[in-house]
Amino acid sequence: MSDQLLDPRAIRLGETAASRDDAIRLCGEVLVEIGAAEPGYIDTMLAREQSISTYVGEGVAIPHGTLAGKDLVKRDALAVLRFPETVDWDGEPVTLCVAIAAQGDGHVELLAALAEILLDEDQARELREATEPETVTRLLGSIQEEAKQ
Amino acid sequence: MATINGKDIRKLVVACDAGMGSSVMLASTLRKQLGKSGVTVEHTPVNSIPADADVVVCHNGLAARARSVAPDKPIVGFQVFLGDPAVTRVVKAIQQGTDLNV
Repeated sequence: MSDQLLDPRAIRLGETAASRDDAIRLCGEVLVEIGAAEPGYIDTMLAREQSISTYVGEGVAIPHGTLAGKDLVKRDALAVLRFPETVDWDGEPVTLCVAIAAQGDGHVELLAALAEILLDEDQARELREATEPETVTRLLGSIQEEAKQ
Repeated sequence: MATINGKDIRKLVVACDAGMGSSVMLASTLRKQLGKSGVTVEHTPVNSIPADADVVVCHNGLAARARSVAPDKPIVGFQVFLGDPAVTRVVKAIQQGTDLNV
């Protein structure tokens, strides 16, 4: 299915990035590639990061665009990129990016699931150390199913 | 500095720039924590803070903008999205009906 919130093609667990901005560009490119956003959205993701970091703790960042960038979103979608060698995120080591393109609230339940995971040390580690896409979809996925009902 | 009592908070708004990412995550955890209290938790872009908000929670980097949009609202700024002590104080004030200095 290409219209789902977390497209299997958007889960990439062996990425490398030289810098925070490099990682954000990679995230943005995946969102563009799966048809969730226009290429211009990537610049708004970089702009957002400049103003306020999207680091949320436990080695996870959730890069996304600005309010103006919402017009460049084609459908609500997420991308999960893992950087096993970590990326320096303004001094915080980031292993996992959950990149967001959203116009509506379709992704809210999935972000709620992410928040729950990050508040649980063991689950946060499991997500951070995931090497199989199935682990990511399992951790985030059960809630995603509920959201569809 | 203003004081608001937790009992008087009926609607809490989490504001961020796009209302797309971090505010959504914080709002969802607050909704869970405040579920029993009957307080409504919403997430909105900072430019469209609703008039009936009793307290606004937003990142320190957006607090100035939030104040210019909603000058009459108590604004609570935070630095980290999960587990920030400033946010914990708001939750406590609501749950225990105690005073909150903002």
